[in-house]
Amino acid sequence: MSGESASAIHKSQVDLLDFIDWSGVECLNQSSSHSLANALKQGYREDDGLNLESDADEQLLIYLPFTQVIKLHSIAIKGPEEEGPKTVKLFSNKEHMGFINVNDFPPSDTINLSPDNLKGKPVVLKYVKFQNVRSLTIFIEDNQSGSDLTKVQKIVLYGSTVETTDMKGLKKIEDGH
Amino acid sequence: MVLEATMICIDNSEWMRNGDYSPSRFQAQADAVNLICGAKTQSNPENTVGILTMAGKGVRVLATPTPDLGKILACMHGLEMGGEMNIAAGIQVAQLALKHRQNKNQQQRIIVFAGSPVNYDKKMLEMIGKKLKKNSVALDIVDFGEDDDGKSDKLEALLGAVNNNDSSHIVHVPAGQSALSDVLISTPVFTGDGDGGSGFAAAAAAAAVGGASGFDFGVDPNLDPELALALRVSMEEERARQEAAAKRAAEDASRQEKGEEPSSKAEDATMSDANVSAPEENKKITNDGDANALLKQALQMSMNISGSSHSVGDAEMLDTTSEDQELALALQMSMQESTSNPSSQADESKVLEDQSFVSSVLASLPGVDPNDPAVKDILAALQNQSESQQKKSEDEQKKSEDEPSNENK
Repeated sequence: MSGESASAIHKSQVDLLDFIDWSGVECLNQSSSHSLANALKQGYREDDGLNLESDADEQLLIYLPFTQVIKLHSIAIKGPEEEGPKTVKLFSNKEHMGFINVNDFPPSDTINLSPDNLKGKPVVLKYVKFQNVRSLTIFIEDNQSGSDLTKVQKIVLYGSTVETTDMKGLKKIEDGH
Repeated sequence: MVLEATMICIDNSEWMRNGDYSPSRFQAQADAVNLICGAKTQSNPENTVGILTMAGKGVRVLATPTPDLGKILACMHGLEMGGEMNIAAGIQVAQLALKHRQNKNQQQRIIVFAGSPVNYDKKMLEMIGKKLKKNSVALDIVDFGEDDDGKSDKLEALLGAVNNNDSSHIVHVPAGQSALSDVLISTPVFTGDGDGGSGFAAAAAAAAVGGASGFDFGVDPNLDPELALALRVSMEEERARQEAAAKRAAEDASRQEKGEEPSSKAEDATMSDANVSAPEENKKITNDGDANALLKQALQMSMNISGSSHSVGDAEMLDTTSEDQELALALQMSMQESTSNPSSQADESKVLEDQSFVSSVLASLPGVDPNDPAVKDILAALQNQSESQQKKSEDEQKKSEDEPSNENK
């Protein structure tokens, strides 16, 4: 585990995009023309021209509920050098947070994005804190240049689901032992 | 039908005592608040509304967001005016109240009634607006009452800072004839953001405008069906009466030489009967174009109303043309005061002498009691004037009464 290079993704970790419950996804302070879908959705996120942008100021608060319980291993955030996010706080299982109470709770993890990370290199998280995640709140506190506008090109979550029974692998128990 | 939690910020400062909005600014504001609460709760049953006051000793929350309209209306009672409005604190407290709403799926909205001068500077208001936008709270501003320099600009700046995709609005209501609530009804504050508004709002708007766009007579048939029906019936009667008068004028001009005035007057007589089906009968009559048929129908109409026993006999009397004219004129006389044809007047007096007929017709007239001594005197006087004519008509009546009696056998 320690020999894992920073750029490699652990074998059993999958892209958790499929497990996001889109009906409950919220993003506060996003610009209406540049919304969260640009950073999350398949296809949109690959396009570097389509960004998630902040509106009134540089902070962003993203709430992602999941369809099932997951373990979160790492996160990759891609953004431009200047306006990409710098300090990102992650909260697990905290619903409907607002900018006002975001600093009332200690985050499950805090990451500082380096320019390397902004190119798409995933950041490994404190795995033990994200063992039983139903929803994830991502709070982007500031950006690289300190300007009023934060741009995010891509957000990818890597992890695994808690119940991973492979139904195809199950064999029928024969009668008569 | 947007699911929404709304906080209404009321201005209860000293400036609200002013009477430039009737009856007073405060009362106009209260009416508007009541209407808005009703509209919000009706448009979606899960909507919640809360109230707070901005002036007085300080910002005070009267009701946290609740779907219970009764509770909201109750807390509007007994509010006192005083102090100065603190718009910044009011909006911030409203935002906090919305943050702690029970159903997190509701959209957040604040409605501010800004009636007194705004003490804060533009920058401060813009910052507040930005904060609201950041937390996706929409803001509606009702700018009324005091209009000192800069207040409108400040409020517009606040709106600009908050506005996200036209979800926030501002309404400037100058003092004048129309009530605050009436002006607000047609604005997006009431109707919501392009949803088309709720049925409540639309009905209230129609009633307020005087029924031009909504209901026919400014009365909602759902609320008061009897009144709406009565209004509709009387409207139709009036229309029919006017139609008949117009037709009569046209026919008088065209048919005067043919001497068909009695028929037209008969039509007129039937028109003035308080009967909705009369106009339809009239149309039937004009379509026929046959004088005798016209008179027959007209007489049947009048006979139905007066309910006299002469109905059969009178129908028979139509065979003789002199009787036609007399009876037709009788109808016209009984229903109308003035007659333009001098030749008919002599005939009219004859018919009047038919005491029972006249009294039965009189009985059908509202407000006329045949047993009234004054009426009796008049009838007696008319009778005395031409006794010979009376005798002649009696003979003719006997003849006709014999006929139906023969038929009955």
